[in-house]
Amino acid sequence: MKTVIETKDLVRKFGEAETQVTALSHVSTSIKEGEFTAIIGPSGSGKTTLLQLIGGLDEPDGGDVLLSGTNIANMSGKQLSDFRRDHIGFIFQSYNLIPVLSAEENIEYIMLLQGVSAAERKARVREMLALVGLEGLGDRRPAQLSGGQQQRVAVARAMASKPDIILADEPTANLDSTTGIALLDTMRDLNAQLNMTFVFSTHDQKIMDRADRLIHLEDGVIQLDETRQS
Amino acid sequence: MLTLKLAYRNILRQRRRSLLTAFSMAGGYMLFVFSMSLLEGSWSNVVDIFTLDHTGHIQIHKDDYAKRAKIHKTIEDPKAIESTLKNHAAVTGWAPRVYSAALAYGGSKTAPAKIFGIDPTLEPTVTRILKKVSEGEYFSSQPNPDGYFPAMIGRGLANTLKLGVGDEIVLISSGADGSIANDIFSITAIIGNTTSFDRLGVFLPISAAQEFLAMGGDVHEYALLARNKHDNEQLAADLQKLLPGLTVSPWQQIEATFYRTMQSDKQGNYFTMALIVFIVFIGVLNTVLMSVLERTREFGVLKSIGCRPSELIKLIFIETVMLASISITAGLALILPVIIWFTEVGIKLDISVDMGGVVFDTMKGEFSAYVIFMPMGFMLLTAALISLPPGLRAARILPRVALGSH
Repeated sequence: MKTVIETKDLVRKFGEAETQVTALSHVSTSIKEGEFTAIIGPSGSGKTTLLQLIGGLDEPDGGDVLLSGTNIANMSGKQLSDFRRDHIGFIFQSYNLIPVLSAEENIEYIMLLQGVSAAERKARVREMLALVGLEGLGDRRPAQLSGGQQQRVAVARAMASKPDIILADEPTANLDSTTGIALLDTMRDLNAQLNMTFVFSTHDQKIMDRADRLIHLEDGVIQLDETRQS
Repeated sequence: MLTLKLAYRNILRQRRRSLLTAFSMAGGYMLFVFSMSLLEGSWSNVVDIFTLDHTGHIQIHKDDYAKRAKIHKTIEDPKAIESTLKNHAAVTGWAPRVYSAALAYGGSKTAPAKIFGIDPTLEPTVTRILKKVSEGEYFSSQPNPDGYFPAMIGRGLANTLKLGVGDEIVLISSGADGSIANDIFSITAIIGNTTSFDRLGVFLPISAAQEFLAMGGDVHEYALLARNKHDNEQLAADLQKLLPGLTVSPWQQIEATFYRTMQSDKQGNYFTMALIVFIVFIGVLNTVLMSVLERTREFGVLKSIGCRPSELIKLIFIETVMLASISITAGLALILPVIIWFTEVGIKLDISVDMGGVVFDTMKGEFSAYVIFMPMGFMLLTAALISLPPGLRAARILPRVALGSH
C-alpha cells in the first residue's frame, strides 16, 4: 500500500517568548492508503494541530507535510484550496455545516466548487445521503436535524468530493456515546467499502477501539504508534 | 445558482440589519436620482432658455465669424446649405440670419442698436421669438402701405428712444460694399424686456436687412435645432463633414464660457452627490464587515472544504451587489412616480423668473436614462468596491484561525 500521508519533523508553536507553547515537537509519521487511524491523547496533546497541519489548514513552524508525495508547503493558497477540495475531506467536532443551506445543498456545495455537473451533483447527493442513512432528510436545514444527523451530513459532505483522505477532528465529541459509536461504525464501513484513508482524533476509549492504528500523542510528541488487528 | 441562493439566504440571515441597510441604500439612490433630475432639469431649462431664445443648438458661419464678426464674412451660397439642412433627418428647424451694428434714431434721440435680419417664417421654427412679442404684432416680410419695411425693436431701445408700436425708426449703418446705409422702418412690435440680450436689437425681415446692408442674398449665420438636443455635438460634426467650407459649431462652442461654468457647477454637484453616496456606503461597509466577522468560522469551513480565496471574495461581492440591487430596485419603484411628476408637472415657484422675456414659473426635473441609470451604475459600482475589503479579509484569513473564532 502506498503512503498517502507523511509528516517529517513537524513543529508547531503558538504564542511568543515566555508564553510560547510547543503544540507539536518534531512529529514524524506516515499513514498508508486505506488505513483507519486514530490520533489519541489528552486535551492539549496536539491532536487537532496535527490534523490541521496535515490538512493544510495551518502552517508549520518547521518540518514538512507530504500528501501522496506532494509537499503542501510549496503550494500557493489557490493550489492548496484546490488540493483540499479534490483530495481531502474534513469532519469537524461541531459539524460546521452552513446553516442557511439544506443538508443536500451542504453536500452539493463542495461538488459545485469542483465543477461537477448539476445532474451528477444531484445523483451523488442522493448516493451520499443513502450511504449515511439520511434518505428523506435532504431538504432539512442543519437546525432541523439532531447532532448525530448533522454529523452524518458532515460525513456525507466530506465524502462527496471523493477525496483520498478524510480527516476528522473529534467527530463524536458532541454526540452521545450510542450515536458516536454508530457514526464511527458508518465511517468504518465506508472506509472498508471505498478504501478511503480515515484519520480521526479522539480521546474516547470506545471510539479508539474501532481504529486499526492508534497514534498516541502527548505534549506534542508521539509516545506510541500502535497497529492493531481488526 | 447555489452560490446565488447562498448569497440571498445570507442576506436574509439578519433581516432587520439587511432591511435597515437596504433602506439606507434605497434612500441614497432616491436622493441621488432626485438631485440628478433637479440638476439636469435646471440646467436643461437654462440651456433651453438661451438656445431657444436665440442661439439654437448649432450655428453655421463663414470662417471665424462667431468669434470675430465682420459684415463681409458671409455665407455666399445659402441655397446649397438650405438644401442640406432641409434634407437632414436630425435637423428639425433652421433659420438664416444677418447682423450689423447701427445707429438708431427716434424723434430727437439716438442710440446704438444691433440689427438682426431674420426670416419671419423660419425664425419661429428655431426660437421662441413669437412668445417674446410683448407689444404689437409679429412682423412679415412685406412693407407697409407707405412702402416702409416693418421692424421689431427691443424694449431697451424702445425705452431709450421713447418709441412704440406704429412709430418709425431710422437706422444708419455701413453696407457690406462700403456704402452708407440708411432707411426708415415702421415698428410693428416690441420684443422682450429690458433684461433681454436683444434689448437694444432691431429685428428686420432678412430680405429687408440684406437690401439695407447691400448684402445681396448672403447671410451671416444659420441657426438650427437638432431633433435630439443631447446629440447636437454629433450632429454638428456630421454637418461639418457635409459643409466643409463653413464652420459648424454646437452651442457648447458658441457659448463656451457658459458651458464651462455649467460643467463646473455640475461637477461640484456630482462631487456632493458622490459624498452622500460615500456616507451611505460607509454604513453599508459596516454591515458587510459585521456580516463577514460573524461568519468568520463559516469562511474557515468553506476554505477547509476547498473554497478558493477568490470564491469567498465572489460570494461577498454577490451578497453586497445583490443587496444593493434589491435596494436600488425598491428605490427606483418609489422615486419613479416622483420624477415623472417632477418632470411633467414640476414645482410651482413662488416668484416667477423672467428670462429675456420668456417667463418661467415652474421648476421641473429631467426624466432620462442618464438620470435613472447613472446613479444606479454608480451605486452598484460603489457596492462592488465596498465588498472588496471584507472579501479580502475573508479570503486572507488562515483556516485554523477562522475555525477557532466564534
